[in-house]
Amino acid sequence: MEGAKRPASVFRKPPPPPTATFIAPPAPPPPAPGAPPAAGGPPPVPPGGPILHRPTFHGAGSTLFGIYVVNALLILATIGGYYFWAKTRVRRYLFSETAFAGDRFAYHGTGRELALGFLRAFLVFLCPLIGLGVVRDWPGIDANVKKVAAYLVSFLLLVFIPVAMVGARRYRLSRTSWRGIRFSFRGRVRDLVVIFFKSSILAGLTFGLYYPFYLTQRQGFMISNSYFGSERFGWDGRGRDLFRSFLLAVVLTLPTLGLCWVWFLAHKRRFFWQHTSFAGARFRSTVTGGALLGLYAVNVLLLVATLGIAWPWVRVRNIRFGLRYLALEGPLDLERIRQQAQLASATGEGLAGFLDTGFDLG
Amino acid sequence: MRHEWPATYLDGQTAVRHPATVRLMGQGLEVVTAQGWTRLWPYAEIRQTQGFYAGEEVRLERGGVLPEIVVVSAPEFLASLHAVAPALGGALRDPAGRPSRIRLVVLAAVGVVALGGALYLWGIPAVAAVLASRVPVGWEERLGRTTVEHLAPAELRCVDPRRQQAIDAIVARLAAAEPGPYEFRVIVVNRREVNALSAPGGYIVVFRGLLERTRSPEELAGVLSHEMQHVLKRHATRALIQHVSTGLLLAAVTGDAMGPLAYGAQSAQVLGQLQYSRRAEAEADALGMKMLLAAKVDPAGAIRFFEALTEGEKQPRSVLRYLSTHPGTSDRIERLREEAARAPGPPAPLLPGVDWDDIKRLCEASFPR
Repeated sequence: MEGAKRPASVFRKPPPPPTATFIAPPAPPPPAPGAPPAAGGPPPVPPGGPILHRPTFHGAGSTLFGIYVVNALLILATIGGYYFWAKTRVRRYLFSETAFAGDRFAYHGTGRELALGFLRAFLVFLCPLIGLGVVRDWPGIDANVKKVAAYLVSFLLLVFIPVAMVGARRYRLSRTSWRGIRFSFRGRVRDLVVIFFKSSILAGLTFGLYYPFYLTQRQGFMISNSYFGSERFGWDGRGRDLFRSFLLAVVLTLPTLGLCWVWFLAHKRRFFWQHTSFAGARFRSTVTGGALLGLYAVNVLLLVATLGIAWPWVRVRNIRFGLRYLALEGPLDLERIRQQAQLASATGEGLAGFLDTGFDLG
Repeated sequence: MRHEWPATYLDGQTAVRHPATVRLMGQGLEVVTAQGWTRLWPYAEIRQTQGFYAGEEVRLERGGVLPEIVVVSAPEFLASLHAVAPALGGALRDPAGRPSRIRLVVLAAVGVVALGGALYLWGIPAVAAVLASRVPVGWEERLGRTTVEHLAPAELRCVDPRRQQAIDAIVARLAAAEPGPYEFRVIVVNRREVNALSAPGGYIVVFRGLLERTRSPEELAGVLSHEMQHVLKRHATRALIQHVSTGLLLAAVTGDAMGPLAYGAQSAQVLGQLQYSRRAEAEADALGMKMLLAAKVDPAGAIRFFEALTEGEKQPRSVLRYLSTHPGTSDRIERLREEAARAPGPPAPLLPGVDWDDIKRLCEASFPR
């Protein structure tokens, strides 16, 4: 998509925003560079220690339930057509009820975009997959042709997952904003495909012990290619730091009947957040295995007792839980951030552009 | 009415908040930041993007895709704004309309239950029946062949051409009574259970345990006619379509294809499955009996066989009866007797001159005791 040659370093300069979509707003009064920070700038570090910024959630399960109910009726009445608008409505509510440093997030996606994205994925992946599957199973066709078809099916599936992951992340981040500034994701599908293929081979050779390294690399790819405006997220995690707790969980699987994996998940979360930084501040997660287990257990009880009707409340619980243990620690320098929206181009260049404009499934 | 409100201004180019004041003027909203910059937003150009729910701060935007933003925390602001600019009724949500929205939600909930229930109980079975009858026989045969390869793997099949001929003769006589597009193939497997299964496309699997418990060809014919009716009425294909549709219905009602499935909402589907099965079983019973009568096979054999089975098993309690796939055996026998009473004429013997005890030993050739 971007034609420029890439230097070997991981920290590339972000590509300039495509001129076709960079919309210049009416000239607002910009804060003059070098001027003393406005009252809205970052407060000075207090003598007690670094600042802790905490995200907060203001939504309620009952309101979400109301949204779900209206969505359900409209989905049934439109024989499924309303599904994409329903998803968008839920997302918009959840995002606008989440706040950070006093300002709420906003979601700008539309049902139409989701519907078109689904159609794209359907045409580009599902139809060839079905066609190849039919060729593979049809009785009257030459055996060699069938073998080729079978390999193509596996290959398509293996490629589809990273495409979908990158597409979904690119779409969601570009439709999310905070204080009016859009997030963006600039990772390329081929980088994730390389991680996938490399990891499948290495995981096979090491009987699965490579898994924490793969997780770390994948997370690194996701985080280090995410931007808020012009500011890039930082990542410094290494697979070997996660390997120890992974090995411990593997060894303890049988004695703890699998429960040790909850503690591994908690450690993974802490580890991932700990190595994510932004604008001079570092994230910090204090979630524990016990708290995570408690969350899952109560969720299951709620859902079983209410035959699934408590799902909106469970969703709200999960969000509150996730935010409760998360904080951003340090002097957050927001002054230098500029809007750099990477909105999907209307035309899309070739197949890569066609897919990279981002589509989101489920 | 208050005209001046404290607010925050975001310029859409930086992530810095500017404290500001908004004034509700005649033609528009006047925004004055703490640093003294002033903007005037005509009401017609303002969009409200947040502040629809109680306690949410009001967020107004002006501009294109990357707009300027004004956020007012006081919820009463919206009422004042609405009073000053009522012409923009739709664009700026009326907070007084909240109680009617709650009523709407309740109505919607009732609608979901009614519509969802109707689809589940009536719509989906009807659609599945229509679709199932349109599925080509060739597809069903392929599906059946794959299923049977799992149910009756080659190493468990009892092969005995001479005795198999007798069983095939029974099938042929029954099939002649109700011609159809299927080629019925009976496979006997070396398993102790007293059971028989049918797969789409005409495949019927009979377990050794069942074969050896029959005492006459008429008894086996009763079981075979039941299974053949499952095939002729395409129950398995229909069940598959219903399973997929119920999954889609659940996804529609929860508005989320992935989430609830992760928590095992599939258990609801499974319960629904069993409900369809019981209807299908009752249908197979009734039509199987009709098939026996049309082929002039003595129905007493089938009834005797089911009675013998009941003596061996406990009577299921009401809860278990709901969960089991077959209707309670005593109900079945009653219904079968009622059908049998409608026999049009005297039966003709099924395999005259054939020693059934010999045929029953079909599996001994491949799997001697």
